[in-house]
Amino acid sequence: MPNYVYIDYAKNEYKGEYMQKLILPLWTVTVLILMIFSLSYPAFATNKILVNTNPNNGVKTWSWEGNGLAIELLQVNPDFIRATYASRGLPKTVTEAVATRCVFGTIIRNISDNPLKYKVSDWRYITPDGTENKIKTKTEWVKEWRAMGVRFSWSILADDPTFEVGDWIQGFTTMAEPHGSDLDLKVVWKIEGKRYEKILPELQCAQAPID
Amino acid sequence: MKKYYLNFSALKLQLTKTALTSVFLGMFLVSAVSAEPPPLGHKMSPVKTTPVASSFTLPDIDGKLYSINDLRGKVIMLNFWASWCPPCVREMPSMERLYTKYKDKGFVVVAVNQWEDEDTVFEFIGRLDLEPTFSILLDRESRVSEQYSVKGLPTTYLINKEGKIQYRAMGGREFDHPEIKRLIEDMLKKNSASD
Repeated sequence: MPNYVYIDYAKNEYKGEYMQKLILPLWTVTVLILMIFSLSYPAFATNKILVNTNPNNGVKTWSWEGNGLAIELLQVNPDFIRATYASRGLPKTVTEAVATRCVFGTIIRNISDNPLKYKVSDWRYITPDGTENKIKTKTEWVKEWRAMGVRFSWSILADDPTFEVGDWIQGFTTMAEPHGSDLDLKVVWKIEGKRYEKILPELQCAQAPID
Repeated sequence: MKKYYLNFSALKLQLTKTALTSVFLGMFLVSAVSAEPPPLGHKMSPVKTTPVASSFTLPDIDGKLYSINDLRGKVIMLNFWASWCPPCVREMPSMERLYTKYKDKGFVVVAVNQWEDEDTVFEFIGRLDLEPTFSILLDRESRVSEQYSVKGLPTTYLINKEGKIQYRAMGGREFDHPEIKRLIEDMLKKNSASD
């Protein structure tokens, strides 16, 4: 019995009984490697921003994680804000002040092993002309609402929390830009005193509702 | 002697097909996973300074006044929530299961609703698969959540039998996770020993 493998490239055929033993495990290993790679895609893509569009309502989301922070941004339709605020009995002035802005539902998670801090006052959104703009913070919104006699203090993203391990939070981030605008968002945070920042480019504000 | 013939082109094609299928399957799972809300964790962080939980009195959904001072000597899970807050809704069944397990051992759950009225809360409870049997209080103007420096909903505190805040969690949790059960059992035991 021959113990060698004969390869005839011209005929594009392999011959020899050891090839079966060699090729089949190779095939299995290749498939397994490819499956592991594709299933663990996010682990390879820590610096990638995942963009999704909900096929049912067209709402876009952007998510990213790295350097101990996970962030997800979700387009918020102005009518959703109007409905949510109206059902809480908030006056129209409060509702419209938020609904006429570009709003993203924002989820922040501490995925590090240490406390994480951020301040929305350190964040900036960047318009297509390159201008960096401040984001109106929860403290500023609440102050404005209190001046109107409204004690509501929810819905806007907390502006200076400290997240312990495993903590997360969600709320609105509001930018003074028209509906449908494009912008980048610079997010800044600190873990153990070390400052990190990430720019999430090409975000799109929710479109204005069609009258 | 037995001979084997393998067509190299067919093998390449098969491998390519399998690779593409795997990649597409992976991408599909990635998009499916990323459309999911963030997972509920099970970590509660120790509050190093263990401040005394400030006292408050609030009405429950039947209008009966309820004071946290009356619960001194019990382990209290104080949860701040609202019906429009998705993680608050997601964590509520696990809170009920936890309450059911330990209520006879000196454990209470107090869920303080933010900004909503009785009707909204009633309607919300009616929609839950597992109706809460623990106390639900109404903090209509969020004064108590301000007292407790709550930055976002849900936020939960574990208060020991001496009335001191021992653990905190910001964001939704799976409260009947063994790790949290262990914390509560320790708190129940520890304080019992000093009673």
